[in-house]
Amino acid sequence: MIKIENVQKKYEGFEIQNIHLEIKKGEYFVILGPSGAGKTLILEMIAGLVKPDLGKISGIKGSRIGLIYQDYMLFPHMNVFQNIAYGLRRKKEKKEKVESAVQKAAQQLGIFHLLHRNVNKLSGGEKQRVAIGRAMVMKPDIYLLDEPTAALDLSTKIQAQRLFMSLHKEGQATVIHVTHDFEEALALGDRIALLFNGQIIQKDKPEEVFNNPATKEAADFLGYKNVFSGEIRESLMHIHGIEITTPVNKASPAYIAIRSNDIILSKKKIFSSARNYFIGEIIKVINRGSHLEVLVDIGILLHVDITHQSYREMGIGIGNQVWATFKTSAIKVFEH
Amino acid sequence: MKLKIAFSFLGTLLILFIAVPLFKMIISVEPAELARTAIQKDVVASILLTLRASLWSTLAALFCGIPLAFLLARVNFFGKKIIEGLIDIPVIIPHTAAGIALLMVWGRQSAFTKLTGISILGTEVAISIGMFFVSMPFLVNSVKEGFKLIDSRYEKTAISLGATPWKAFTTVSLPMAKKSIISGSIMMWARGISEFGAVVILAYHPITASVLIFERYQNFGIKYAAPITVLLIIISFVIFIILRVVEDKQ
Repeated sequence: MIKIENVQKKYEGFEIQNIHLEIKKGEYFVILGPSGAGKTLILEMIAGLVKPDLGKISGIKGSRIGLIYQDYMLFPHMNVFQNIAYGLRRKKEKKEKVESAVQKAAQQLGIFHLLHRNVNKLSGGEKQRVAIGRAMVMKPDIYLLDEPTAALDLSTKIQAQRLFMSLHKEGQATVIHVTHDFEEALALGDRIALLFNGQIIQKDKPEEVFNNPATKEAADFLGYKNVFSGEIRESLMHIHGIEITTPVNKASPAYIAIRSNDIILSKKKIFSSARNYFIGEIIKVINRGSHLEVLVDIGILLHVDITHQSYREMGIGIGNQVWATFKTSAIKVFEH
Repeated sequence: MKLKIAFSFLGTLLILFIAVPLFKMIISVEPAELARTAIQKDVVASILLTLRASLWSTLAALFCGIPLAFLLARVNFFGKKIIEGLIDIPVIIPHTAAGIALLMVWGRQSAFTKLTGISILGTEVAISIGMFFVSMPFLVNSVKEGFKLIDSRYEKTAISLGATPWKAFTTVSLPMAKKSIISGSIMMWARGISEFGAVVILAYHPITASVLIFERYQNFGIKYAAPITVLLIIISFVIFIILRVVEDKQ
């Protein structure tokens, strides 16, 4: 188990405060947060490359560490083979052993044909595979991944995520993966820690974090598009002439957040157990690929996700009046 | 388009300012005269001495200057700005002043000479010391900028792969900074060759090319100083073109 206790560090304009984390052996742990939150610095401290000002990191000693940075940091004066062999050569492994280990890793990663290429001429996805290969041949117990997919296009990114999953499973390695992409965090993490401004504000299973963000910033970051501020009295929040029934009796000032797929659109008013229903006009429809995002003006602007199919079948469009319905329990409340 | 024409005009003025005196001097020397000068023993000796002494000073500066440049590029410490300012001082002060300052440490009255009984004045070592003092900033600054351009995460990656800091330096930082090390060395060597002020104070003899030019001008006038000057310019020019080509190939 990797234990990070009360770690603090000031470094090149960043400040990391009071970090407590316990990462289990074999866990896939994701640190999620916006860029500039200090995520890289945490990884560098775990790797022992940077010393914390205060606090303690334990459970690392004797572990082999595979660190992969966002921009891969392939040594530009070495070819692909030399890059992958770098760590083995530092261990003064025999030439044949180095060769067979590098070839095996390259085969596994589908970069065997690139072994004698100049690393500066590879694509982003290829570079990343080389970086993974370079770490992989050292058989790490702990992988530290620093925004490893941030520079990749979507299809390469999904391939890379599969690769991380298989590295994790096959090598039974602990993975600490830093990202700003909450979808990636949800897809990969056994647990997620949210890092904002150098502080961990929440750590839990991905669904928990996603369904119950701890703060307004977390909700914003996790893609909650309907975040409103106001005062809640007798369970009601008044904003721009409408009243929203919330699960909290009294909070002031407060934020409420509603996920855009927790809102139902209908042409007629639905009588249901849901406490919140408003009529409004569709003012914009954005194609998000897998779904549509419909913007409805009910006095406040609601973002609602619906499928292409329901949009077609409902026969609605910009300028139409629709009802927007959501349950009180779909509302997360955050006090300031 | 207009901007390019205007800039070309201004650039041309600068090039003419440099090129015209060089050109006039070169055409003032008859090829036969140049050939005669090129085989004069004292001329050949002085040019070889100059190239050699500057090479020694550059090699010595590489030995201490690369570590210093690496520290300045990577580590923040109290007084760093002062150190950086100190390194630039030889560029700012008159080189005769640099020569005088060096006499305080290496001269006949210095503690060094009193303790060891060795006087370096008037030796090739003294020439190298003078050249070192005034031309070292070119090397250190160039190498420092080179190291600064290398993301420190390359070194961190190497260390995470089991390299010692020394190995990370020699296998990653150093080869990645190769270009700025080569170009800094060329600059320093070139600056050393052209040095006069500090050298003439520390060692009038053995005579370097710059001192020989000065001496011939003093004793015999411009006509006698020109051939050796042209010779030095041609040799330096050819060497530097070759070095720049080698540098680009890297």
